[in-house]
Amino acid sequence: MKSVPKLIRRYVGLLLLSSLMLLLLNAVVFAIIASKQLSNGSPWVTAAETAKALQSTEQGIVLSKESTTQLQEAHAWAILIDNTTLQVVWKSDHLPNCVPLSYTASSISNVTRGYIAGYPTFTGESENGLLVLGYPKESYWKHMWPSWDYHLIANLPKILLAIVFANILLLLIIYVLANSKLLTSIKPIINGIQSLSTSNPVHILEKGLLSELAVSINQTSEILQKQKSQLRRKETARANWIAGVSHDIRTPLSMVMGYAGQLESDTHLTEEQQKKAMVILRQSQKMQNLINDLNLASKLEYNMQPIQPSKMNAVAVVRQVVVDFMNTDIDHTHPIEWETDTSPNTCLIQADQDLLRRAIMNLIQNSINHNENGCTIYVTVQSLDDSCMITVADNGVGATDEQIHQLNTTPHYMVCDDTTTEQRHGLGLLIVKQILAVHNGQTIISHSQYGGFCVKLILPLCKR
Amino acid sequence: MELSYLKSKRILLVDDEQELLDMVVSILTEDGFTNIHTASNVKEAMSQIKEYSPEMVILDVMLPDGSGFSLMEQVRKEQDYPVLFLTARGEEEDKWKGFSLGADDYMVKPFLPKELLFRVMAILRRSYKRENPLVKLHSSTIDFSRAEVIKADEHIPLTAKEHELLSALYRNAGRIVTIDTLCEAAWGDNPYGYENSLMAHIRRIREKIEENPSKPVSLVTIKGLGYKLIVEREW
Repeated sequence: MKSVPKLIRRYVGLLLLSSLMLLLLNAVVFAIIASKQLSNGSPWVTAAETAKALQSTEQGIVLSKESTTQLQEAHAWAILIDNTTLQVVWKSDHLPNCVPLSYTASSISNVTRGYIAGYPTFTGESENGLLVLGYPKESYWKHMWPSWDYHLIANLPKILLAIVFANILLLLIIYVLANSKLLTSIKPIINGIQSLSTSNPVHILEKGLLSELAVSINQTSEILQKQKSQLRRKETARANWIAGVSHDIRTPLSMVMGYAGQLESDTHLTEEQQKKAMVILRQSQKMQNLINDLNLASKLEYNMQPIQPSKMNAVAVVRQVVVDFMNTDIDHTHPIEWETDTSPNTCLIQADQDLLRRAIMNLIQNSINHNENGCTIYVTVQSLDDSCMITVADNGVGATDEQIHQLNTTPHYMVCDDTTTEQRHGLGLLIVKQILAVHNGQTIISHSQYGGFCVKLILPLCKR
Repeated sequence: MELSYLKSKRILLVDDEQELLDMVVSILTEDGFTNIHTASNVKEAMSQIKEYSPEMVILDVMLPDGSGFSLMEQVRKEQDYPVLFLTARGEEEDKWKGFSLGADDYMVKPFLPKELLFRVMAILRRSYKRENPLVKLHSSTIDFSRAEVIKADEHIPLTAKEHELLSALYRNAGRIVTIDTLCEAAWGDNPYGYENSLMAHIRRIREKIEENPSKPVSLVTIKGLGYKLIVEREW
C-alpha cells in the first residue's frame, strides 16, 4: 500500500512541527512572565532609590515621604548601617525585633546575599552607609550562591542548541519506535482488507495492538466466504437440477422418437398415419434440442461448462458443420450456399471446437426452424484485420426491426432477473451469445442482404 | 452398396430399460439385422458374451450393477469388440471418457432410428472390412488392395496420396468430405495450406477414374466445401 509511508511522513512532520511550536510557545510565555516581573520593579532598584531618598538633616536621618509610603505599601522595613561603626544608625517603622542592630563584615556579606532572620534583604548604597531593605518573609526567593563555570556560560548558546537537538532526536526515536509497533500491527490488517475486496479468504493473526480489528476482519472474511460458497452451491444445485431433469427425460423421449421414426417409414400405414408419426417425430426432435440447449445454457450461465480452447482453423470448423447439415438434409428444402469468394482457406482462432461448432449449428438450425417452407442459407467466413467473422444469413421470413433490436439488446428470459411477460424465444441464440462471450467474441444480429435474418459472429484472431 | 453380410453380425445390446431394449431390437430387426442378443445388467452381459461372443456391443453407461465404462474394459480384455455407447449421459466429460477408453462411437439419447442404424453400420463397416473391396464407380472400378483403378480393361496404378484420398472419400461414400478432412487424411495433423496440392491430386484422380475428367460424375466437387465420391456398387 503506497499511502502508508506517506501517512507516516505526514505524521512525523506534524509531530516535529508541533514540538517546535510548543517550545516556541513556552519561550514566549516565559518571556512575558519574566518581563512582567521586571516591570514590577526589582527590589534592588527600590533599595537603591530608598538609599538615595535618605537625607541627613539636623533632626537626624530622615526618609522622604514618598519612599516611606512605598515601603509601607510593600510591607517592607529598612535600616541604615553606618560605614565606620557598623551600627544601625537609622531604622524605619515596623522593624521586626529579631533584626540585629549591630553588624560585622561577615554578617553584612550574608545580608547582601541572602536574608536576615528569614526576611529577604536587598541593599542600597547611601552617603553614610549601607541601606538594607527587608521584605516580608516568603515574598522573594534569593539565589544565594550564584557562581557558574565560565566556559559553561560562554558556550551557553551552543549547549542550549545541542540540548534542543538531542531532545528532538529523542522524541523522534520514541515516535518511530512507538509507530513501528503500530505499523507492524497495521500492515497485516491493511493486507487483509485489500484481499477482502478480491474476495479471497483472509486470516490475520489476532495479536498485537489491533487484534480486535483483526478479529472483525477475519469474521468478515468468513461471512463473505460463506456467502460465496452458498451462492455457488445454489448455482450448482440449479444447474444440477436442470441437468437431472434433462437426463431423466432422455430415455422416455428416445422411446417416443424411436417408435415414431419407425412408424413414419412403415409402409403398412396409410399416408395420413405416416404424416402423424412424422409430426410426433418432429416435435420430439424439438424437445430433444430444447433439453440439450437448456442444459448447455444453464452450464454456460453458471460457468460450469469446462472450456477447452485450442488453436484451430475456423474455416475448417464451419466447413465441417455446413457439410454435416448438407449430408443429413435429405429433402433439400434448406440448401446451404458456401460463399467462396470472400472466404480465405485458413483463419486461425483460439476456441473450444465443440462449443464453436455448437454455435454455428444453432444458427443454421435457427434458420431452418424459422423457415418451415424452406429457404437458402448463406454461410461465409471472412478474415478481418485482427478478427474472424463468421456470417450465417438466410433469405427467409426474417424479423422486424423491433425484434432485431430486442434480440441485440434485451437479455434472454433465462438470464433475466425480472419477470417478463414478453414473448419468449428459444435458447438457440442465447447459447450462441454465451459461447461467443466466453471466447471474447461478439454476436451481431441484423437483417440479411438476402432479405432474411443474419447473424455475424466476430472472434479474435490468433496472434502470429 | 452390398453390405448385407454386416447385418448378420452378432450384436449384444445392454440397457437396464426393457422397453428401450425392445425398441432398439425392433429398429435393428426391421432394418434386416438377424443376430441380436440383449442383457439388462453387467452380470447378464458377461454371461451373454461367454455364450455368444458378440461381434459388436451397444452399451448403456449406467447399469444397475456397474458402469458401462468398466464393463467395456472388462469385455475388451478378452477380445477387441467394437463398442457403441448409447446413453442418456450427454455431458462432454462422459463423452470424452467413453472415447478415451476406446469406444468406437458415443450416442446420446434421444436418437433417431436412422441415426442409430447409420452409426451401427459405420462401425461394422470399419471393423469388418472385406479383405479386397472392389468399388464400382460410374466408369471405372477401384481395387484398394492393389491400389489400382481398372478403367476400360486398363489397370492404372494409384500413388500413395491418391490411395489415401480415395480411401477417405470411400469411407464416407455418398457424403460430402470437407477439404480439411481430406488434407488431414493425406498430410496429417497440421493440414494448413495444402488446398492447392489437394486440387492437383483430385485432378489426377479424376483423370484415372472418370470417363471425362472435366465433367466428373463419380468424384464431384462441392464448391468451397469438399468432394463427394459416388459409388455404384461394392463387392
